[in-house]
Amino acid sequence: MASKDINNPQINNTQYKDESGEKVLTKKDLNKMAWRSLFLQASFNYERMQAAGWLFSMAPALKKIHKKKEDLSKSMKVHMEFFNTHPFLVTFIMGIIAAMEENKSDTETIRGVKVATMGPLGGIGDALFWLTLLPISAGIGASLAIDGSIAGPIIFLIMFNIVHFALRFGLMHYGYRTGVNSVSMIKENTKLVSRAASILGLSVVGGLIASYIGLETTAVINAGEARVALQADVLDQIMPKMLPLGYALLMYFLLKKNWSPIKLIGITVVIGVAGKYLGIL
Amino acid sequence: MFIKALLIALWAGITGIDNFNGLTHIHRPLVTGLIVGLILGDIQTGLITGGMLELVWMGMAPLAGAQPPNVVIGGIIGASFAILANQEPNVAVGIAVPFAVAAQAGITLLFTAFSPVMHKADKYAEEANLKGIDKINYLGLAILFVSYFIVAFLPIYFGADTAEAMVSKLPQTFIDGLSVAGGMMPAVGFAMLLKIMLKKEYTGFLILGFVLVAYLELPVLAVALLGTTIALYDFYNNKNKDNTPPPANSNEGVVNDGI
Repeated sequence: MASKDINNPQINNTQYKDESGEKVLTKKDLNKMAWRSLFLQASFNYERMQAAGWLFSMAPALKKIHKKKEDLSKSMKVHMEFFNTHPFLVTFIMGIIAAMEENKSDTETIRGVKVATMGPLGGIGDALFWLTLLPISAGIGASLAIDGSIAGPIIFLIMFNIVHFALRFGLMHYGYRTGVNSVSMIKENTKLVSRAASILGLSVVGGLIASYIGLETTAVINAGEARVALQADVLDQIMPKMLPLGYALLMYFLLKKNWSPIKLIGITVVIGVAGKYLGIL
Repeated sequence: MFIKALLIALWAGITGIDNFNGLTHIHRPLVTGLIVGLILGDIQTGLITGGMLELVWMGMAPLAGAQPPNVVIGGIIGASFAILANQEPNVAVGIAVPFAVAAQAGITLLFTAFSPVMHKADKYAEEANLKGIDKINYLGLAILFVSYFIVAFLPIYFGADTAEAMVSKLPQTFIDGLSVAGGMMPAVGFAMLLKIMLKKEYTGFLILGFVLVAYLELPVLAVALLGTTIALYDFYNNKNKDNTPPPANSNEGVVNDGI
């Protein structure tokens, strides 16, 4: 019955035991997290990508928020899940999640918000840094350096890092304020919010599959006189990005069959190298 | 030469970390050219080669998860070669790129090899051991430093020519294969997300996101905005339903009793 569930919080394992939701984070903690976020990719790997670095950056907040050991452990496990976003803009998500953790939002919602924000921020970050800030500042610097001026590298570093650090620290505080202002709303409507976050998250994952997985075949079928390029003439006609989708789904089903991610990564390396030797990738 | 190679390798280690962590961009060829020039005593050539390499790498951004040839090793080998072998900056660029491609293949292997360490991290999470997580990240930094240090030290100490001959003996097909695998790799991460998030009732949104990018070629941000539109609509729609208590409550009662 519903009433029983409410009285027994242990049944719902997405909730923290200590639900006090006290405000414990200070500006200093947020700054500490922003500094640590510089090491977001220290332990980068293909299985979880930035997860362990993300947890490293969140550590000052989690330590202060979760006084019960089992709550800290539960939170750490959620933050060890696959995570990948833009390494500069990540502090915006950190601020929001820090506010949610502080408010003891349930872990499913926390996960939903992380997944829903990481993709779009990655895209914005790419556009902002790789396609705007870097070409502008490095272009100015390089033109000076090619003329033999030592000012080239110096101007480049100053320009680039003023924007970089202003965003990194500014977004941490902005994200936290955004989170604080919206957590009570999020907490009251947990189920609906996590549903909304799943909808958003999955549509983004669908988009990521189509844009971030690089897999095309170079195979050519010789049928008498005709040379048919498998990718352009067959696969692309059926459905664009068919191979990336197929490969992601294959990985998904193998994971569901309890294959370990490491095995899947190993298989991916073998397929890539073997495919190249066979001349089909 | 030993001291100079050591100093350059030290710079490679530091900027190798900066390439992924810190990101102050001291690792760009523009800055590396100046530093290598200082170490080898020819600031002018260092600056000019660095500036040219910078322009080469400017178009090679790590977009859409595809890793370009390694900018750190490319910058260091290119600038060192221009000064040590007294070559035109253009030739230095030609030498730098194969090294950089090989270095990036090494990075792919490194990121693969570091995956098992995550299970140690899971154990630390289970034990609520934040210090353990710190240790894993420091270990990652140390491995990055040492790898870049070695990869920069060997070719400069033993001569860039010898090393280039060695790299060119590595089968190109093998290196290309690693690069193909690197492109496929995000599939594993996305599959892990799906395993956590995908429920039957949401499958349609996964398809929607895919179609928007694959067929309509929208950027991911546009997909996120459309996803937000649907999510907001769904949220307020359901919220308004909840505000009309009698039917919602009676429904829930029936479901619970049924269970």
